[in-house]
Amino acid sequence: MANAWKIARKGNAQLPLVIVIALAVVLVLLGKAQGGLFDRARGHATDLLAPVLEKVRAPVAGFDRWMGSITEIFSVYQENLRLKDENARLRQWRNVAVVLQGRVGRYQQLLHAVPDPRMNAVLAKVIGRANRPFLQTMILDAGRDNHALPGEAVMDPRGMIGRIYLTGNRTSWVILLTDLNSRIPVTISPGNVQAIMAGDNSPMPALDMVSHTVTLHAGDQVTSSGDGGFLPAGLPVGTLVSDGSGRFRVALLSDPGASQDVEILNFSKPPETPPANAELPVEAAGLKPEAPPPAPAAAAKPQTQPQTQPQIQPQQPGQAKTAPLRPGAAPQPETAATQAQGETEGADR
Amino acid sequence: MVSLERAGSPNRFRSLIGLTPLSCGLFCTLLTNIPVSFLGGLVPPPLLALVPVYFWCLMRPDLMTPVVVLIIGFAEDVLSGGPPGVWTLSFVLTYALVARYRDSFAGLAGLAAIVGFAAAATFACTAAYVVVAALAFITPGAHSPPVGSSISELAMTVLFYAPAVLVVSWLHRRLVGASRGDV
Repeated sequence: MANAWKIARKGNAQLPLVIVIALAVVLVLLGKAQGGLFDRARGHATDLLAPVLEKVRAPVAGFDRWMGSITEIFSVYQENLRLKDENARLRQWRNVAVVLQGRVGRYQQLLHAVPDPRMNAVLAKVIGRANRPFLQTMILDAGRDNHALPGEAVMDPRGMIGRIYLTGNRTSWVILLTDLNSRIPVTISPGNVQAIMAGDNSPMPALDMVSHTVTLHAGDQVTSSGDGGFLPAGLPVGTLVSDGSGRFRVALLSDPGASQDVEILNFSKPPETPPANAELPVEAAGLKPEAPPPAPAAAAKPQTQPQTQPQIQPQQPGQAKTAPLRPGAAPQPETAATQAQGETEGADR
Repeated sequence: MVSLERAGSPNRFRSLIGLTPLSCGLFCTLLTNIPVSFLGGLVPPPLLALVPVYFWCLMRPDLMTPVVVLIIGFAEDVLSGGPPGVWTLSFVLTYALVARYRDSFAGLAGLAAIVGFAAAATFACTAAYVVVAALAFITPGAHSPPVGSSISELAMTVLFYAPAVLVVSWLHRRLVGASRGDV
C-alpha cells in the first residue's frame, strides 16, 4: 500500500491528469456545440430539487424581508410621501390611458386592423434565484406540464423580467434581461427606434445596434419590438438612462430580486410562410391570376374599357388597397373587392 | 466462512471511506448551487467545492484523483447553469497547479494557508473567466463577462475557506485520516 501511495503521488498520476484535462477541453467544446445535452440534465436536476427548493424558499424569503425591513424602517416616512405623490400622478395617467385605449380600440374597429395575437399566461412562483458570475437566473415552479416552453417571456406586474431558456417537467429556468447572454429586440419610443437590448450582468442592460442617425433621450420608453416573432410586441421593459459617457442604458421596470409571482406569456404566433415566386405579385395580393394573352385577332379589336378604370372605385373600409397593384390586368373590380374583403375577414378571425 | 465475512466488511467500509472526498465535493457543489439568495443576489455564492478539491489534493491525492475532480467540476457545471465545461476545466487546471506545487502548498500554515488557497482560487476563477471570455469572443455579438462578479465570487470563496476547511478537516480526521494506512 505504501508503494501504491508513492506511485499515486509521483509520475504515473500525471498520465490521467493530461487525459482529464483533454476531456475537460472536449467538454467545453461539446457544451458549445451541443448545449442541449447539458440543458436536459439541468432540467432533470431541477425537477428533482424542486420540492426541496419550495421548502427552503419560505424561511429564506422571510429572512430576506426581515433584512430589507431593517434598512427600510429608517426611510419609511419619506418613502410614504414619495409613494403618495407617485400614486396621484399615476391616477392621472391611468385616466389618460383608459381614454386612449378606448380611442385606439375604435380606430382598430374602423380600420379592421389585424388584432393582436391572443396570449395565454401561466402564473408561476419563483422558487429559486442564482446570481453567478456567468449566469443570472431564476427558477420557476412551472414547466412543460404547465405548458411553459423555452423562449416565452416572463413578466412581473411592472414589466418584463426575462425569457425561459430551459424547461423541465415541473420547473423552468429564466434567463434574466440583465444576464450576459440575454439579447432581445426592443423599440424605443418616441421615434420608434429599433435596437437590441443586451445584458452584461450589470443592473442596467446596454443598447446595441442603434442607428447613428437617431437621437435618444433619457426617459424614453423601451418596449419589446416583437421582431423575429419570438416575443410579443409592446411588452414594457424599461426607460432610458444616460450612463454619463454619451451612451444609454435601460433602467428596467421589473425587479427580479423582489418578484415572487410571475407570469409566463404563451405567445404562439403562426409562422408566416412567404408565397412562392410564381404567385407574386398578383396572387399574393389575393386576386385572380392574370388571364392568358389574347389571340392576335382579339387583340386587334378596340378596347371598350380603359385599363385603369378599377381605380375609380371608392375604397370601402376593410377593403385592401389591391386594385392599383394590377397594372395591365383585366378589370374585375367586384371580384377583387370581394376577395380582399374575404382576406381581411380571414385575418380578423 | 466467518472469517470471510469479517474480511469483507472492512473492505466495503474502506471503499466507502475512499469516496468521502468525492461525496464531500458533490455535497459542497449542491450546497453552493441551491438557488436561494440570502442577500438579495448582491454577492455570488462561494465556490465551496474548491475547498475539498484543494484540501484532499494536498492531503490525499490518491483519493482526490483527477477523475474525481472532473466529476465534481462537471456537477458544478450542471447545477450552476453556466456555460458547460467551464468549471470542469477550471477545477482540473487548478488541481494540476496545486498538484504540481504540492510541497509548497502543503507547507503553509495559519494565515499563509489561507493565502495559498486564495492563490489557487484566483487561478480557478481566472481560468473560468478566460474560458468564458474565449467562448464570448468566438460568439458573434457576445459581450465579455464583467470582471467584477468574478472578483466577488473569489472574495466570497476565500472568505468561506476558513469555516469550510474546518468541516473538511474534521471529516478527514474522523473518516479518511483514521484509515490512512488502509485506504
